[in-house]
Amino acid sequence: VNNFKTYLPWVVVGVAALYLIFKLVPPGDPAEGMHLEEFATIPVVANGRVKPIDTFARTTLMALSGKQTFKDENGKTQPAVKWLLDAMCFKLGKARAVADYKVFRIENDQVFGLLGLQPRAQTNFCYAVSEFGDKLPDLAREAQRARQVRDKDRTKFDLKVLELESHVQMLLAVTELAEPLVLPPEGPGEEWQTLRQALSAAPSAGGADEPAENFQRMLTGYALNKPAEFNKALAAYRQHAEAAAGSEAHTDLEVVFNHFEPFYQCAVLYVFVFLLACLSWVGWREPLAKAALWLALVTVMVHSGALIARMVLQGRPPVTNLYSSAVFVGWGAVVLCLAIEWYFRNGVGNVVAAVIGALTMVFAIHLGGSGDTLEMMQAVLDTNFWLATHVTCIALGYTATLVTGVLGMLFIVLGVFTPALDREMFKTLPKIIYGVLCFATLLSFTGTVLGGIWADQSWGRFWGWDPKENGALLIVIWNALVLHARWGGMIKQRGLAVLTTVGVMVVGWSWIGTNQLGVGLHAYGFNNTLAVALVVGWGICLGVLAAGLVPLRRWGSYATWTAPPAPPEPGPLTTSSPAARAKRARKKGPGYSPA
Amino acid sequence: MSKTSIQATPPAPAAAPPEDRRDKPGGSPSEEAPPRRRPERFPLLARLLRPLASLRLTVVLFALSMVLVFCGTVAQKDANLWVVLSTYFRCFVAWIPFQIFVRFAQVFFGVPASVSVPGHFPFPGGYVIGGALLVNLVAAHVVRFKVSWKRSGILMIHGGLIVMLLGELITGLYAVEGNMSITIGGAANYVEHPDHVELAFVKHKDDKQDDVTAVAEKTVRKGGLIQDAQLPCDVEVRQYMVNSTLLEVEKAPPGTPNPADKGIGTELVAVERPAGTGVDTEMRRDIASAYVTFKKKGGGEPLGTYLMTAYWGPQKLTIDGTTYDVSLRFPRTYTEYTLYLKEFRHDTYVGTNTARNYSSLVQLVDAGHGEDREVLVWMNHPLYYRGQTFYQSSVQQDSMKNEIGTVLQVVSNPGWLMPYLSCALVSLGMAIHFGLNLIGFLNRRAAA
Repeated sequence: VNNFKTYLPWVVVGVAALYLIFKLVPPGDPAEGMHLEEFATIPVVANGRVKPIDTFARTTLMALSGKQTFKDENGKTQPAVKWLLDAMCFKLGKARAVADYKVFRIENDQVFGLLGLQPRAQTNFCYAVSEFGDKLPDLAREAQRARQVRDKDRTKFDLKVLELESHVQMLLAVTELAEPLVLPPEGPGEEWQTLRQALSAAPSAGGADEPAENFQRMLTGYALNKPAEFNKALAAYRQHAEAAAGSEAHTDLEVVFNHFEPFYQCAVLYVFVFLLACLSWVGWREPLAKAALWLALVTVMVHSGALIARMVLQGRPPVTNLYSSAVFVGWGAVVLCLAIEWYFRNGVGNVVAAVIGALTMVFAIHLGGSGDTLEMMQAVLDTNFWLATHVTCIALGYTATLVTGVLGMLFIVLGVFTPALDREMFKTLPKIIYGVLCFATLLSFTGTVLGGIWADQSWGRFWGWDPKENGALLIVIWNALVLHARWGGMIKQRGLAVLTTVGVMVVGWSWIGTNQLGVGLHAYGFNNTLAVALVVGWGICLGVLAAGLVPLRRWGSYATWTAPPAPPEPGPLTTSSPAARAKRARKKGPGYSPA
Repeated sequence: MSKTSIQATPPAPAAAPPEDRRDKPGGSPSEEAPPRRRPERFPLLARLLRPLASLRLTVVLFALSMVLVFCGTVAQKDANLWVVLSTYFRCFVAWIPFQIFVRFAQVFFGVPASVSVPGHFPFPGGYVIGGALLVNLVAAHVVRFKVSWKRSGILMIHGGLIVMLLGELITGLYAVEGNMSITIGGAANYVEHPDHVELAFVKHKDDKQDDVTAVAEKTVRKGGLIQDAQLPCDVEVRQYMVNSTLLEVEKAPPGTPNPADKGIGTELVAVERPAGTGVDTEMRRDIASAYVTFKKKGGGEPLGTYLMTAYWGPQKLTIDGTTYDVSLRFPRTYTEYTLYLKEFRHDTYVGTNTARNYSSLVQLVDAGHGEDREVLVWMNHPLYYRGQTFYQSSVQQDSMKNEIGTVLQVVSNPGWLMPYLSCALVSLGMAIHFGLNLIGFLNRRAAA
């Protein structure tokens, strides 16, 4: 058993590494069959960005169905590119198949009513066009009506109708070959073209546009299930397209990235870190804590690598939208917590790293469902300088504030519900919180003010009282409030934990809540799941906060503070009776100095 | 041994667990119980200021400011920014409607949209909280004034904050924002201020000059008869609408009153809309309209009742043989220089309508200062000139959505430099203060 304890961290890291390598290696194309993996790397343009067709397929299918795969007519799970190819071959005999794929996710009762559908959990509430095709005119009519309604007055039904209608349009655009732009510009000054444009510009006479012809041949080969023709046309097309698309499009890297789904892997691994760290408090303290830390280090390496890959793909600083802010905040929090763990070695850093890491990954995966996460920036945001300074700083401010809060919550949960918050932890943990809080204040303040300076540079208003700006301001003020309350002696260890818990709620408001108002310059639109998640998060914080207000003598860890310290230190004055210590602890907690 | 424990009863320090004693002396300076009191230099002043300098007051003010900022944020869901600014932040008392909390619950807790709670309660406004924070901060430094390395960071932070609060005050009081619209190939030498309107009479003198007489919004809003020697006629305001929409007379709901008998008012009718709701993500503003009867001077005969509206350009009014262009328009301030728009560009991302960049190539001509140069104004790259800053703001479109010109946001703010100074001071201060704390902490741990 002792041997196993020694090697446990190695085993854990080894298993994780094998798992990651297994996930990282691309499946490769069969020599005989169609080279779908090769097809996936074809550069196309959609939403203003050159990307592999794989990304286009995944994000489109994700938008429609919430998943990056689909089930074919035999119930077999297939990759998104296959769905896209089928859709592109709609007019080449695949119409029936495409109409039968259950890829339209519908969850709204009123929409069910409109389309005459029944809620169906077996297919994950996904439906095929053939199931509601006869009701498409009704959908179009309702969508037309909803479009007339002002943004903020739209009901949930209006939004869902508009969403579904746009999804149908997305599929339609693909079947009409009007999306994406597949043909790179032939020379300077020319633009990317859709296959439809190219084919109609040069009707397949003798001097036809060669890449367009090749693409068409590829589709025909696919539709007629002739792998050799498909592969041949694909090879010819790719050679041309990759030369024309230029070198800045890292389509190969992006396909690997898509396939690997690094943030999903990170989410899984963070959950294991959490489990290991929690187990380490139950028993086998040393080896399990070490295993948790090592596994966390492996995970954070994957996380960092993915973050860097995204920066390379986009050519931008790490945070450009809500999705990437989740990824970055998670990364920052994990790094910070692992630094804390490295330094204090009490398991606290592991747990907090795992919790924040896993939650932010889940958050990011959810946000990634709405489209291309490497989207292009609105004009005023098209500046790497401010993205690198203001946005990064704000995100780090969120990060540090979240870390203080989760540490505070851990303090309360461990203290109230378990005997694990011993005397040492009772004193150390608030010190860590305090230190992180100082930097949270610094970062969120600097980030907020840098945002003001950017605003002053771009529209002459240092402070616009925009909801997002106000949200950032609230974080700064709250952190300052906690610091001043501590400096003024108004709060001590427990008070610090309680107040930093509120800090999490403030971050939630600033980060996600303000967007839900749907006003202002930073508005990204309302997202129901986020609103619900936020409310649940607030509820959890309030619950922990209430627990934190329980009198100290009712805390689960109370007994450990009143027990005599071990080992007892000999000295002339250590004559205090346990009863006297208990009395003090009851009043002030163990960290209170007997002044 | 800790200084503070000297005051305790003798057995007490002994009772502390050993770690407590070890930690105590090196504890971070600011987190300790009150340090030994120094002799006061100005005892009376200090006694007066002590309550004002209290940290408790600071914490309470922070909490109040958070409530105010939060309410002022949610309020933006329904009211436009200018209304929110004046009712929450740039005022002494903010009257917060209870509906704010209902709105919040509607967004997050699924409270039905129909729920509406009347009434409001008073709350300290931005000026009161900001002012009180300023007093609190200054008092704290007077009472606890001490210059040392340890406190230099704190001093810088607080100095920077004072600069920032004053800067925001100066901005609130003196900053002027406006728009300059220039059509492609055209020129402009005035800035419009779209948060107000004025009733302007323009007499065309020659190709180069106009005579302009204008009645300010305040006066128009009051209604009734306006008489002034400078005005070419008497003006009777029959109805003034802060925000309005125009409808064609035939399409207006039956029974809509239409007092107008001349000008565009014979074809269009204005319908009042609630003020301050014109703003959404596109930052639209209120559009004012008024029904006005012009009368010959000295209680003379009426010249007609007109619909004056900010939607519409000038209308002709002839008084004693002189023709005036009368309009309800955004007030203008004229600049001593002229901007000519040579080229306007609106770049999009490939294959989309998403804007990548807007830019205006203008010729700046200022004969008085011998300036005549070409300037490119684009996103995040404004033009600074003679106390004014010109930012690329938006694009002018005609009714067919063709781009016909640029809109530059023009700001003059005497306090613009203060946030920069403040930011530098506070950030440096925090870096010093927290950095010293961290180094101290790490040293203590290393020693322990």
